[in-house]
Amino acid sequence: MNKILLFLTCIPLGLSLSAQVLDNITIGLESNTVWYNDDSETGDFFDNANNDGDKHIRSNNYLKIDYNFLESFTASVQIESYEPFALLNYSKSYEGTNLGTYSLNYRDSKLNITAGHFYSQFGSGLILRNWEDRQLGINNSLQGGKVVYEPADFVSLTALYGKQRVGFKTSDGEVFGFNSELDAGALLDFRETSLGIGLSYVGRKEDTPFVDPTFDELTNLFSGRVDFYQNKFYSNIEYVLKSEDAIKQGGQLSNRFVTGGSAILFNTGYSKSGFGIDATFRRLENMNFFSERNAAGNAFNESSINYIPGLTKQHDYLLTNIFVYQAQSIVNLETSQSGEMGGQLDLFYKIKKETLLGGKYGTKIALNASYWAGLSGDYIQDNPDAGTLPSYEVELFGFGGKYFSDFSLEIRKKWTPKWRSIFYFVNQSYNKKIVEGSGAMITSNIGVIESTHKLGNGKSIRFEAQKLNSDSAKHDWTGGTIEYNLSSKFSVYVNDIFNNGSDSDTEKTHFFNVGGSYTKGATRLGLNYGRQRAGLLCVGGVCRFVAEATGLTANLTMSL
Amino acid sequence: MKKLIILFALILSSGSLFSQSLPNITLKSLDGKSINVKKVSNSKDVKVFAFWATWCVPCINELDAISEVYEDWQDETNVELIAISTDDSRTKKRIRPLVNGKDWTYEILLDDNQDLKRALNITVLPHLLIVKNGEIIYRKTSYTPGSEDEIYEIIQKYTN
Repeated sequence: MNKILLFLTCIPLGLSLSAQVLDNITIGLESNTVWYNDDSETGDFFDNANNDGDKHIRSNNYLKIDYNFLESFTASVQIESYEPFALLNYSKSYEGTNLGTYSLNYRDSKLNITAGHFYSQFGSGLILRNWEDRQLGINNSLQGGKVVYEPADFVSLTALYGKQRVGFKTSDGEVFGFNSELDAGALLDFRETSLGIGLSYVGRKEDTPFVDPTFDELTNLFSGRVDFYQNKFYSNIEYVLKSEDAIKQGGQLSNRFVTGGSAILFNTGYSKSGFGIDATFRRLENMNFFSERNAAGNAFNESSINYIPGLTKQHDYLLTNIFVYQAQSIVNLETSQSGEMGGQLDLFYKIKKETLLGGKYGTKIALNASYWAGLSGDYIQDNPDAGTLPSYEVELFGFGGKYFSDFSLEIRKKWTPKWRSIFYFVNQSYNKKIVEGSGAMITSNIGVIESTHKLGNGKSIRFEAQKLNSDSAKHDWTGGTIEYNLSSKFSVYVNDIFNNGSDSDTEKTHFFNVGGSYTKGATRLGLNYGRQRAGLLCVGGVCRFVAEATGLTANLTMSL
Repeated sequence: MKKLIILFALILSSGSLFSQSLPNITLKSLDGKSINVKKVSNSKDVKVFAFWATWCVPCINELDAISEVYEDWQDETNVELIAISTDDSRTKKRIRPLVNGKDWTYEILLDDNQDLKRALNITVLPHLLIVKNGEIIYRKTSYTPGSEDEIYEIIQKYTN
């Protein structure tokens, strides 16, 4: 390892001899360091993943360097360091300092070839998506090779092979993929219409642990897509089929429970200047797909090949993010679960200037509604004595028990050139048992008022007031934020949320945070001291459970 | 660890010499056209590439604030703002209605698996690049109310 570091230290030295070379380098650095404290309210610091209560200072660091050379080539490395252990709630597989990803890419007008680690996505990602989210601790890039060939403007073909990155290692299972995208609109020379067609295949091959397996070591997923766009109207549909594979039940892979899966995704919308509407429907049945079968249901979203985000609005405020939905695609006979079905509707509208409701500057309105439920059908438990195999039979379009619903209305209003406000209302129902494994349905109403006042010379102040009322005696939250921007470079903030309800985990505890940041160009340094609430941390519709913690955090990000 | 720090320090000290160009990456526009960002950036007029996402409130605030003065900016400097959405397939559907609902007139490009964002080593949103003749002349992250005025000063400075 030391040799690698020394080697890398030499690179910039050598490079500084030639500005020409430097022009072709981009660098990204991210460093997140936390000093965890013992806290009389939330308990002493302890890291369950590493069984450690001593190392209070933890640091996650990422350095990515891309070098472009000979017009068409890019070499890329990402070094990651988790010292002495990773921050709390990260998978134990991120440990120490090591080379995270590396790749060599060649790109011309027709060919794009990568060897090493690569990120790829087929269609909406329902059968394959490789991505990185450092906050969630996800990097499921594939290590292998990828070729994208575009023989003409209207066609793109991809072939890839790799083993998936899991921490600093790779998965046992191998992943194969083929993708084709055809721009039929361009091919048929449509002027006003765009028509895209996509076909993909992803295979995962992993040895089975059974002597006499009832399923194939290769699992196949197929996806077909049509994407249509004309003038102000658009629509797209995707259908996915997954071949039979063993299901994990009660933490064990079962040779007795083997079944396939499917997904349907439909989206349509209409928009013109000042108005937009969008509707999405999705049905998932047994769509979990991992590079290792036994990774199904792991808490860190490791080894996931496909991307199944919760299709709900990503809210922006502390209290609107207490009950966050996570897409349900697992099969669990005990809770009669085999997937989910539901939809989401979005509406955007701008009330024109100089009207009664629009006022001098106009008023912007955004409305969102979503509803998600299980699949209705018969769920048959495993019963070896009676000779019954575990199975389920679900209706194609039958709604089962409700998992989640959400309605939100956002009104943005500019009062004067210096004053603007946002009014936000959310009504949510959250099936805690399904999403978190225990609890009951909780329905809550959340109101937020936010105002920003520009003070001139780059100074501004922002306030947020938030309130959450629920039908449960456990949750009655109040929250607020004050942020003061001293200039476009310096800003400080303080926020706090407090539960007046009887929830044993959070009652009578102030989850406060104070912090500040300094930004110069593309460099940002942030400091924060505060208490983290236990719960789901969600980014981009994928969630991870985080434990309660108190500490001082420093973040540094820079792009060069 | 010490070596890492030395490495960072060396890289940072050499950073000010950079005059990078955009990577040779092609993205789809909202109306389905393929647009090569390197080609677009190769212009005598100043181009602004604004990386955003539908779920990023400061990004929306920044693009809302610029949209109110965008016509004046264009009249005076011929600048073009290209808003690069990094929304993934979860929130991508919201881009079109949001952009129209807000009445933005920017060219919108879709970077839905973050290829361009990753190639430029962008870690935090909002992130803004000012480009002229294919070279990045300024990079900035985060938004505070009023900081669009500073952006405009830079655009004016580089407009002939």
